[in-house]
Amino acid sequence: MMTDDELRRKVVETLAEEFELDPEAMQPEATLFDDLGLDSLDAVDMVVALEKTFGMKLTDKESLQAVRTMNDLFELLIRLKGVQGGQQT
Amino acid sequence: MVNGDLKTDVVVIGSGISGLTAAALLARKGREVMLIERTARPGGALKRFKRQGISFDVGFHYSGCLGDGEILAVLWDYLGVRDRLEIRQFPPEGYDELNISGCAQPVRAYFNYVQLAEELQRIFPVERAAIGAYLDKVRDICQEIPFYNLDLPLSPFLRGIKERPPSLAEYLRSITANPQLQAALAAPAFLYGVLPEAAALPVHASVAHGFYQGAYTIDGGGQAVVDAYLQVLARAGARVLTGNRVTKVLAAQGRVAGVVTEREEVIACREVIYTGHPAAVPAMVPASLFRPIYLKRLQELQNTCSMYAVFAVPEGDKVPSPDWVNYYQLPAGLDLVARHREGSLARRSLMMTSPERRDTGSLREPNRGIILLSPAFWSEGERFWDSTPRNRPPAYKAWKEEVAGEMLAAARRQWGARYGALRPLAVGTPLTFRDELAAPEGAAYGAQHSLLQHNPTARTRLPGFWLSGQSTLMTGVVGAALAGLVSAGEILELENTWEEVRQCR
Repeated sequence: MMTDDELRRKVVETLAEEFELDPEAMQPEATLFDDLGLDSLDAVDMVVALEKTFGMKLTDKESLQAVRTMNDLFELLIRLKGVQGGQQT
Repeated sequence: MVNGDLKTDVVVIGSGISGLTAAALLARKGREVMLIERTARPGGALKRFKRQGISFDVGFHYSGCLGDGEILAVLWDYLGVRDRLEIRQFPPEGYDELNISGCAQPVRAYFNYVQLAEELQRIFPVERAAIGAYLDKVRDICQEIPFYNLDLPLSPFLRGIKERPPSLAEYLRSITANPQLQAALAAPAFLYGVLPEAAALPVHASVAHGFYQGAYTIDGGGQAVVDAYLQVLARAGARVLTGNRVTKVLAAQGRVAGVVTEREEVIACREVIYTGHPAAVPAMVPASLFRPIYLKRLQELQNTCSMYAVFAVPEGDKVPSPDWVNYYQLPAGLDLVARHREGSLARRSLMMTSPERRDTGSLREPNRGIILLSPAFWSEGERFWDSTPRNRPPAYKAWKEEVAGEMLAAARRQWGARYGALRPLAVGTPLTFRDELAAPEGAAYGAQHSLLQHNPTARTRLPGFWLSGQSTLMTGVVGAALAGLVSAGEILELENTWEEVRQCR
C-alpha cells in the first residue's frame, strides 16, 4: 500500500496533468476554488481522475462537499485508502 | 462578438427535439435565434420519411409525460406547441405486450400502475412482494425528480455530485430471482438502450415511470411535432438554416463570440447551444479554454446500442384498425439488450409498433406503417463503416435483406396471427443511424446514461457555450426535450424559466 506522502504526490501529479495546474501552487493550504481556479464544473472530472488514479470510489457526497483545500482532499483520500485498501494502478 | 456575415443572439446547433425546444423557448423570451441543421429537413429523429406513399416514423413511436399536468404537456403548452397537436392517450385496454422467452403467456404491461400491478401479480403470483417493492421504488425515486414532481426546484437536481446509485440489475436481483419477471421489469431499458448491469436504477425509473403513468401517440407522429415547433418558431421570428453545418465555435475575451459554418460564413453571437453528440465538441471549440480531462471525457463517452429497423406494411389489403398494443419479444433475465449478440437476430429483443393511431376509416390509411426495431451493435456493420449512403457496396443490400428477413420471420412467429405477413419497404442499420442522424456508432439514444460514465451537463467552462441533446440530461423524446429546456433555461436563468413553465400546469 502506498504511503501517505506517495498519495499526496500522486494527487498533485494527477491534478497537474489532467487540469493543467501548476504543481508548485498545490500546497496543502491552497483552496481548490479560489487559489487553484477549479470550479463546480471540474468536480466530476476531479472525482473521475482521482478514482482512476487510486482505484477507489469517491461516492460519499457529504465528505466530497466538505473539501475546501488540497489538505482536505489529501485527508479524505488517506481516510478512504484506509477503508477501501486503495489499490495502486 | 466577432464581425460576422450574419448576427444573432443565440445559435442553436441541431434541429432535433432538443434544438427545437431550446430555440422555441429562447424565441418566446424575445431572443433572436438561429437554428442550424446539417441535413435538408429539420427535425432530427422525429422526422418521418415516405416509401411508396406510406409515411414512417423513425424515432417517435409513443411517449409518456403527455397527460394534463405532466411535464412534456406542460412544456408544450408553455411553448404553444400542444395546441397544434392531436395527442391521443392509450386507452385502458392498451399496453405493451411483452413476449418473454420461457413465459407461458404474454405479459400485458399496461400504462398505469394499478392495472400493471394486477397483471404482473396474475402472471407471477408468488412474486407479489417483489412487484410491489419495484413499483413503489420507481414511484419514490421519481417523486424526487423535478420533471415528475413539478413542485421541486431544478437546480439541486442538476448540480453537484450525486451518490452512486445501484444498477438496475443489482436492484432487480435483490428483489426477485425469477428471470421472466426480471425481464418484464427491465423492459423499459429498450427505450434508453443501456444494459441493466450498467443502467443506474434512477435512470431506469425515470424512463419507466413515464410509461407507467400513461402512454400517448400523436396524429401525424413525430413529423407533426416538428411541424408544430416550426410554426411556433416562424411566428416568433426565429430563423432556421438547413443544409448547413457549424464547424467552429469562436471565442473572444473568454466567452463565445460566434460560429463558423462549413460555407465559411461567420455568424456573430454570444450564446451557442450544441445539441449533437458531445464527442464532436473537442474538434469544434478552442481546446485551450477547456480542461484536457473534460475533452477526453466527451470523446470517450460510451454509446447506447444502435438499432436495426424494418419499415413495413401488411401484405395485401389487410390494414389493421388502430392497434393500441406495442409488441415486444424479450429474452428472459437481464440481458435484454445484449443477449445473442452473436449469430441470429431471431431471438434478440424485438419491438413492433404502428405509431399512427388516427382512425381515418380509410382502408388505404397511408400512414399506418409498421415498424420493427431490434438492438444492433456497431461492430456488426464493420465491413461497411467506410461507405456512405451514396456508395454502399452491393453486399450492403444483401446484408439489409438478411437482417430484415430474420426480423420479419421473428415477427411473423410472434404476431403473425394478427398482422399476417409484412412486406418491408425500407430497412435501417447502424450505418443509417450514423449517416442520417449524425449518431456516432449509430447510437440510437446518444451516449449511455450509465454507471460507467458521467454525461456532460448543459454548463461548460466556456461562458456562452451550452450542451444539450439526449447525451446530456436524459434520453428519448421526453429526455431530449427537457435537455432543450435546461440549456435554454441556463441562458435565461434557470429557476425563473422553470417557474414560468410550471405555471402552465
